[in-house]
Amino acid sequence: MLARAHTFTIDGLQTRHVTVEIDIRAGLPAFTIVGLADAAVREARERVRAAILNSGFEFPGRRITANLAPGDVPKVGPALDLALACAVLAASNQLPRERLDSHALFGELALDGRTRGCRGTLAVAEGTRQAGLRTLVLAGERAREAQLVEGIEVAVAESLASAARVLGGGAPDAVPSLAPRGSRGSSTIGPDLCDVRGQQHAARALVIAAAGGHNCLLSGPPGTGKSMLAGRLPSILPPLGRAEAIEVTRIHSIAGALAGELAVDRPFRAPHHSITTAGLVGGARRGWMGEVVLAHNGVLFLDELSEFTRPALEALRQPLEERRIAIVRAHHSAIYPARFMLLAATNPCPCGYAGAGERCACSEAELARHRRRLSGPLLDRIDVLARLDHGVAHDLGAPPLMSSARARERVLAARERQAQRLSDDGVTVNAEMDARMLSRHAALQESSEVMLNKARERGMLSARGQHRVLRVARTIADLNGNERIGARDLGTAIALRPDASLAESRAA
Amino acid sequence: MAADVDDGASRACAQCLRRSWLLAELSAVLDYSCRADGRLVELLALDDEQLMLAIGGRRREELKRRHADFATGELRSVAGVAELCRHDRRYPRALCRSDAPPLLHVGGGVERLGRLAAGPVVAMLGSRRATDYGLEMASSLARGLAASGVTVASELCDGIALASQQGALQVDGATVTVMPGGIDVAASGRRRPLCERLRRSGCVVSELPCGVPARRWGTAAAQRTIVAMAAVTVIVEAEDSPRELAAARIARALGRPLAAVPGRVTSPLSGGSHALLLQGARLIRGAADVLDLLYGARRAACAPEAAASPWAELTPRLKATLEKVGAGMDTPGKLIGEHDDRGELLLALSELELMGLLARGHGGRYLPRDPPPPAACPPLVERAHRRSIGRIATSGR
Repeated sequence: MLARAHTFTIDGLQTRHVTVEIDIRAGLPAFTIVGLADAAVREARERVRAAILNSGFEFPGRRITANLAPGDVPKVGPALDLALACAVLAASNQLPRERLDSHALFGELALDGRTRGCRGTLAVAEGTRQAGLRTLVLAGERAREAQLVEGIEVAVAESLASAARVLGGGAPDAVPSLAPRGSRGSSTIGPDLCDVRGQQHAARALVIAAAGGHNCLLSGPPGTGKSMLAGRLPSILPPLGRAEAIEVTRIHSIAGALAGELAVDRPFRAPHHSITTAGLVGGARRGWMGEVVLAHNGVLFLDELSEFTRPALEALRQPLEERRIAIVRAHHSAIYPARFMLLAATNPCPCGYAGAGERCACSEAELARHRRRLSGPLLDRIDVLARLDHGVAHDLGAPPLMSSARARERVLAARERQAQRLSDDGVTVNAEMDARMLSRHAALQESSEVMLNKARERGMLSARGQHRVLRVARTIADLNGNERIGARDLGTAIALRPDASLAESRAA
Repeated sequence: MAADVDDGASRACAQCLRRSWLLAELSAVLDYSCRADGRLVELLALDDEQLMLAIGGRRREELKRRHADFATGELRSVAGVAELCRHDRRYPRALCRSDAPPLLHVGGGVERLGRLAAGPVVAMLGSRRATDYGLEMASSLARGLAASGVTVASELCDGIALASQQGALQVDGATVTVMPGGIDVAASGRRRPLCERLRRSGCVVSELPCGVPARRWGTAAAQRTIVAMAAVTVIVEAEDSPRELAAARIARALGRPLAAVPGRVTSPLSGGSHALLLQGARLIRGAADVLDLLYGARRAACAPEAAASPWAELTPRLKATLEKVGAGMDTPGKLIGEHDDRGELLLALSELELMGLLARGHGGRYLPRDPPPPAACPPLVERAHRRSIGRIATSGR
């Protein structure tokens, strides 16, 4: 007596189609699972047995062999429970078999027979469509997530008994109504930019960075509001588009961070500086995603940048450059998308008061160490530097600079212009323009042309530095509504560039 | 003990080598005995017997025996490092004083050292923990001096000393660097590339033989050598503390001209320079002032007034911005007042930076810098100074 059911297992961001084959024969009662199952799947035997018995079915007292095909793909997680249970029921003739070929089953079983939602439902729903299966049977709590995928039917089964009913041709359970959530619909979330007093320069730099998707570094002494400003970045970023939201939902659903519906807010990840390299880029074990992946389509905020370990910062180079991260380990390899905006904050020196000389207690060697950690390849990939200072008294009493809503309007308008211009190039924001696109889209006015040539002659800008300045200048021109980059746009971009012209006289 | 004639062409005389060996042996004890200020120069002025007597301690007898049995082979010689003792003709004449080191280990060539020391040498010293302003001043001073053919003498320390050397290297100028320990080991890993560069284009000098690690007393001893070798000692930025003003004290003791670069009065890091100025040190505003000090009033003849012109050509907008930056509003955040147009301001900053009137420090801080010299000027200045160099050398200074 043989029965077959379809389900999926998650491998990185991909789903792999798994066929559960159950064979029941005469022999001593036993339940064996073969096919590279991990601990959670092997424990499924006990859950499946209890759930079947508690749902009023009979558990066959014979020799049961379950094979999870293909045999070379590791199967992880408890989501195979439902498929195992249904296949056992079909193999023992308690369930008609014909619908098992067109239904995918995905869910964990409780001992009383109820189903639970599992991570990665959205990815599984996409997999169901790709595998040509018609219906996905799953727990109600994740149904909305699965419904985001068009072209398949989502059947809710709140228990094993319901699933058996669906497979027997009965009606599925109703999709549960959503729990009210404060931020639904409108995506303006978190603190508002109007809480910030003073720091005009930095706030505007942040708007520029948000408008062009540029990586940004906030530098300033402690207590000037670096973290405060950073926390307000999500409120001025444009809301997620549909395609972006699906990507974010898929990633966060697999990571287990999101429960059951489409993501509304851009991810804002702010890992502590004690994070390891594997924590940042992923790869600690199979399918483990790092912060750069979780920040996909959102913001990765690194506070106290210079406190991060050097290997961790170095590991950011590939994702910043290629906007994806390739993880290759001994037993697994995977490529994840990692298109995020890097926002970093740092003190100018270890004690935080460097520059004026009066209060700084750092030795030149400490400063050199601090700068070495910041400088180099990582700083090379940061486009905008915003310097924060202790505000003067009247700054703190001044009226708020701008509200997040207004700033976001400007950002949206600038992004609109970028999207129109870049529509043929396959990128969406200025920060992603390469040299070829720059030469086409970053047209200079005469005065700014002269200025750029002068900077080049003086050796102030390297080739890469020049590209960065032009990208930022293009964004500023977009914000100001200029068709060609003017002298003011370029001048601002040069003043915002992160490299120091004094650097060469200090490195030793 | 009579001065032996050297036993090989490359080696110095046995007496001076023995002295260098003794210093290496006593290095740790010297460090300990010189915790109190001022004793070092006196100690180093003692002859071998007295020095062993003074700080030999329990090892006195053993040291005496080994001192008597010393063979020049005991000092290991390293390729590329020559020894030059005071009995050699090429030994810098400025150093021929009783308390100057009798033997120098020279990297970069004895001939070159002789040539550099015969010309004008300016010592540039100061705080290890300098401000951006101090570093920029040190580097631009050194640049100007090196471009005028003056040798910059300094130590291998962070801060002012390093900035001076980097400044001199920017215009391929000559430098003399005095190391606090053996030439091959005194530079830490991070400074080794710089040290190699200094050795290629100038001279690296030490009083201690190769292989002897640097100790604290080595820094003060190096400063003594630097000051003794130089015609003028410039303190670029120093705190008002005995440690940071040690070089100034030595210069005063040797009777060498002392000069200092002023800073902001409110900055404690310039306190030492201001104290020196109060005590009569010459005020230095730029390389021209140092040249004045070296050559008297010759400057008017060879440096026309054109130097001030880049300022005069500025538009009022740029001038106002530059003045504000000079007055301490050195970040865009501070510069943006309520009435200012932000784009205009950032444009002005960028334009000034493009003109070379502003430099951008770490963390987005601006500071004024000397305008770059017009391209045609330096060779003329250099030639004029080379002529005067010859005159000074023949007058036996």
